[in-house]
Amino acid sequence: MNRTDDEREREGTQAGRLWTVLSEGGTRLVALGGRARRLTRREVKDIVFKLLVALMVLIVVTPFFLLLARLLSVGLQDLVGSGPGQGWELIATLPGAALRGGVLNAIVGTTVLVLVATAVGVPLSVMGAVYINEYSRPGRVRTAIEFGADVLAGIPSIVFGAFGFTFLVAYLGLGLGALTGGLTLAFMMIPTVMRTTQEALKQVPSSLREASLALGATKWATTWRVTVRAALPGIVTGILLAVGRVMGETAPLIFTTGNNLGLPTGLVGPESWVASLPFTIWSYIMDPRPYLQVRAHSAALVLLMMVLIVDILANYASRRLTRRIV
Amino acid sequence: MVMPTIRETLAAWSRQISERYESLSMRLRRLKDPAHVDLAGRIGLFIPATTAILIIVLILTFLWYESMPILTSDVGGPAIFLEPTWDPNRDLFGIGVFIAGSLVCTGIALGVALPVGIGAAIFLSEFCPSHLRDVLRMIIEMMAAVPSIVYGLWAYTVMVPWIRDSVYPAVSSNPLLAWVPFLQGPTNGYSALAGGLILAIMLLPTVVSVSDDALRSVPRSLREASLALGASESETALKVVLRAALPGVGAAIVLSLGRAVGETMAVLMVTGNSLTIPYSLFDPCYVMTSIITNQLGYAFVFPLWRSALFAVALVLMLMSICFTAIAKVLIWRGTRIGAVV
Repeated sequence: MNRTDDEREREGTQAGRLWTVLSEGGTRLVALGGRARRLTRREVKDIVFKLLVALMVLIVVTPFFLLLARLLSVGLQDLVGSGPGQGWELIATLPGAALRGGVLNAIVGTTVLVLVATAVGVPLSVMGAVYINEYSRPGRVRTAIEFGADVLAGIPSIVFGAFGFTFLVAYLGLGLGALTGGLTLAFMMIPTVMRTTQEALKQVPSSLREASLALGATKWATTWRVTVRAALPGIVTGILLAVGRVMGETAPLIFTTGNNLGLPTGLVGPESWVASLPFTIWSYIMDPRPYLQVRAHSAALVLLMMVLIVDILANYASRRLTRRIV
Repeated sequence: MVMPTIRETLAAWSRQISERYESLSMRLRRLKDPAHVDLAGRIGLFIPATTAILIIVLILTFLWYESMPILTSDVGGPAIFLEPTWDPNRDLFGIGVFIAGSLVCTGIALGVALPVGIGAAIFLSEFCPSHLRDVLRMIIEMMAAVPSIVYGLWAYTVMVPWIRDSVYPAVSSNPLLAWVPFLQGPTNGYSALAGGLILAIMLLPTVVSVSDDALRSVPRSLREASLALGASESETALKVVLRAALPGVGAAIVLSLGRAVGETMAVLMVTGNSLTIPYSLFDPCYVMTSIITNQLGYAFVFPLWRSALFAVALVLMLMSICFTAIAKVLIWRGTRIGAVV
């Protein structure tokens, strides 16, 4: 009596359902041990296969936790400590003498680079996506642009770095700095934002467009005031995903940003040289000084947190905004 | 003489502004031919739409232009793609060693990531309880978001010592494995194996999520038909669902191949960057992306050296274009087959 109530109660909760699944599996395992002769070979194979693929999922997710454990076990002493460059000072002070301070220069640098990249990349890619989804008919032009975006998404990041170096720095003469680095990152943002925006625009029901056109609105007004507004959550998600992606890029920045232990004061020229979190992590980990090794872990922890926050915001934006608009 | 108050000044300004704005909008309204706006929009939006193609053309042009000197010079020529010796001081620019290194690392990575990733995708789409699947998918999404430098940091500080202190001693002291030719050699941990493993870890999220999508888009009726014919759940998953999803899974494979070849930072930190072709899993190697990262800064003032590095970048670029094209074709075939079923 009590047990059945208990079971019914368990059925209701998620943990209860999980328990049911686990206990079922356990029972079958026991059955496997106790009555092996009754199971046919095919049944045994079935169970073994399922266990094998479950094990594979475990293999897939384990490195993430090992990585988190390593970052936390080494980097946390910087986050909670109270020495120079530890605790609050980690994200609020410049490296200073012998790089004993925090990584403020890198955090500011990454922010500046991402802002430049967003300012350049997002308008271009949103307008491009609007063109292919709203203004072009399916055909060669659309296929070519989509293929271009996909190719751009697959190009290795170091090729962008080399291209930024030879085209932006040497050929256009922009020099190293925030502008060059930001532009290089903008090139990398374009495919992500473009394809997600396009997906979001595809989701907008055509009845909305038709209603707007029937009320006498021009195509232009319909596109920007109705279609794009309805697709906004998807577009925001795409932008955030792209920001999260370029935030962690190192290779395109090595040859394009210069490096700076202080804060940038301009947008071009030597005063615009910026550090970035990934580059800082790389140079710290390659440095033999033990406290810099630790600082690399804590900087990686900061970067990881920034990236994951942007990622979670992207998820949140897509769910929350969709609900609000529909 | 009455000084106008601030409020009056503001009011005057706002009147002026609104008048001017009104006249502007009036003028626009007179021009209000919807076709005009539409045409302007069509042209104004076409230019941003071509940015992606423009950038690709620019990249290809610059890489081609930059790598021409080495491809046409006496010391280089197209043969550098096969030559195994890289020594810029002696004018030897063989980039075959980097292509070999990239192939070995990519091979190890795919050898690990594909079976594990596709197996995990089968579990997620076929056998996993839905609430557990949401959690796992979230973790896998997060793994995909982790920057490569963070994976590199972990591989550099954890995996390399692990290979040096645990894996290699275990392999070399095991009489069953010690004689295998590709498991030879003393190692300091920086090896093709380390590069391949960290690449595999970085590829797994992509492989799992793309294959999972492909498997889940297989119609339910196929599964039901197979089960109704008496096949077990695992037989259904392997022989029916996986086979139907094969083009999508193929696209996942090709996409991850492209990412593996192009990955830079994590591999750079753990492969040991030695200018030799790896013959054993424990040998160090040098991949294409690493040589560009390590030497472009120094090489910029030496025309031939720089040009050889851009030839490496050109190879990378052409490879990634090929992989994307193949993946596109596979996805396209996949959707066509899906439509038929």
